[in-house]
Amino acid sequence: MKQHRGDGVRRAVFTPVDNRARVETVVHRIGDAIELGLLADGEQLPGEMELAGQLGVSTVTLREALMALRQQGLVTTRRGRGGGSFVSLPEVPGEERLLARLAGWSTEELRDLGDHWAALSGAAARLAAQRTEPDDLKALRRTLDDLSAAEDAPARSRVYGRFHVELAAAAQSARLTREQVVLQTEVGALMCLVLGDDEYREEVADRHRSVISAVQDGAHDSARALAERCVLDSTARLITLRLSMPRAVSGPRPLEGTHAQEPRTGRRDGDA
Amino acid sequence: MRRSPGPAGATATLDASAEAAVAAQVRRTLETVFDAVAETRADATALLARVVAGGRRPATVDLAALRPGLHLRLTRQELVSGAGFVAAPGLLGDVPAWLEWWQQGSDGSVRPLLLDLDPAHSAYSDYTHWDWFALPRDTGQRAVAGPYVDYLCSDEYSLTLSAPVHVEGRFVGVAAADVYLRHFEGAVVPLLQRLPGAAHLVNARGRVAASADPAHLAGSLTKGPDFAAVLAAARSTRHGDMRLVPCDGVPLVLVMPAG
Repeated sequence: MKQHRGDGVRRAVFTPVDNRARVETVVHRIGDAIELGLLADGEQLPGEMELAGQLGVSTVTLREALMALRQQGLVTTRRGRGGGSFVSLPEVPGEERLLARLAGWSTEELRDLGDHWAALSGAAARLAAQRTEPDDLKALRRTLDDLSAAEDAPARSRVYGRFHVELAAAAQSARLTREQVVLQTEVGALMCLVLGDDEYREEVADRHRSVISAVQDGAHDSARALAERCVLDSTARLITLRLSMPRAVSGPRPLEGTHAQEPRTGRRDGDA
Repeated sequence: MRRSPGPAGATATLDASAEAAVAAQVRRTLETVFDAVAETRADATALLARVVAGGRRPATVDLAALRPGLHLRLTRQELVSGAGFVAAPGLLGDVPAWLEWWQQGSDGSVRPLLLDLDPAHSAYSDYTHWDWFALPRDTGQRAVAGPYVDYLCSDEYSLTLSAPVHVEGRFVGVAAADVYLRHFEGAVVPLLQRLPGAAHLVNARGRVAASADPAHLAGSLTKGPDFAAVLAAARSTRHGDMRLVPCDGVPLVLVMPAG
C-alpha cells in the first residue's frame, strides 16, 4: 500500500527535533522508525529540503544524519531522475542491528527514557480511570488480545506501544496522546529486544490486564501505579541487557556506526 | 445568575423555552455538518453505484471523483476540518482498505490523509473498530462519535459525524466529517453561556462535549443519568438536581441545574 506519512504515528517521525545533538537525534529517529517498520524497506524518504523542514533541522544537519544512516546501511541514495533517499534494510539480522542501537544508549539515558514514559503512562492511566466508560475499554482489550496473538518481536512491540497510545486517548488528552506517540517511535525499536521472549510477553499482557481492571474500577491511584510499574519494568530489562553487553560503560556515545570518524569540522548542530 | 424578574412560574417557563432554543440551535449547528456528510454520502453512493452497474469492481482511482466535493465542503463549512469516504475493507479491487480523506491544515490548505494501512507495518491499520465506522455500519443510521482523541487522522480531540453508504443494499463504507472539539466549543459555548444556570452538553454515554460549567469540563464524564434513555425518549426530564434536555435529532443532551 502506498498510503503513507499522514498517519499520526508516522508523522511523529517527522516532527521537529530538539536542539541537542541534532544529527544524533535525526539518526536515532529515522533509524528507529526503520527498525520498527514504520518506514518500509524501499520506501522513499521526503526530499532533503522537505525532510529538513519537517524535522526542524538545517539541511547541513540532515545531510550528516543521512550520511550516518547510509553508513549504517539503513538508507541508500540514488542520483538523477527518480533519485532520492530510500530506506534499505541490510541483510544483517535484526537482533544484531538492534543491539548496536541499544549500545548507543547509556544506562542513564535509558533510565531517563523510562522515567518519561512512566510519567506519561502513569498520568494517562490515572486520568483514564477517572474519565472512562465501558466502551473506552474496548480498544484496550482488543490490543491486549492482539498482543497475545502477535508472533514476532516487532509486531509485539508495535502492539505494546499501541496500548500506551490508547491509554492516553482513554485519558481524553490529545497532548498526552501526541507525546506518547512520539515516545513510542523512540522506545518501540528497543522494546523489540525484550518482547521476543514469550514469557515476558505474557508478563506484559498480565500487567496490561491489571491496568485495564484498575481503569475499569475507577481506581485511579492503582491504575497509575500499575502503568508505571509496567513501563519501568520494561526499561529495567533494557538496562539489564545494556549492562550485559561488552564495553557496557563507554565514553561519549559514538555517533551511530562509523560516523564518529567523520571530521568534526562539518558539524554545525546549532544552525538550524 | 441572569434570571428574568417575575414570578417563579414565569421564570421556569422562560428557562424551559430558553433551554429548548439552545438545544435546537445545537442541533442546527451539527445538522450543518451532517449536511456535508449527506452530500459526501450522495456523491459516494452515486459514484459507486455507477461503477458497480458497469460490471466493474471499484478502485481507489474511482474515488478521486469525490475530491472536488470534499474540497468544497472543507473550505465552505467552517466547522468541518476533515471530510471523506472510508471504504469497507474488501470493497476496492486494488487495495484491501482505504480512506479517501482530506483535511484542512492550520494554514487553510487542503491535504490528503495518507495512512499506512499495511498490517505488516502499522499497528493502526484496522480502522473498522472506531465508533465513526462501526456505529453507522452496525445501526444503519448516521452517528456522532466522540468526543475522542483522534490519533489515527488528526491528533485532535474531535467529534466525527458519519453516515453509512450502501450500494445495492450492501454496506460499502461511511461518509464522514471531523469537527475539532475546540471549534465545536467556539460554536456552542456562547449559546450555553446565555442560559441562566451553568450548562453543559454530554453525548449518549455522558461524556462532556462542551461546557459553560467549570465543574464539568469537556472530556469528563457526567455520571448518574442514563443519557441514552433520555435521547431515546426525546423528552426533557429531571434527574436529581439536573434538568436534561435532549437535542432532538442529534445524540447530545443539554444538562442544566434544576430549579
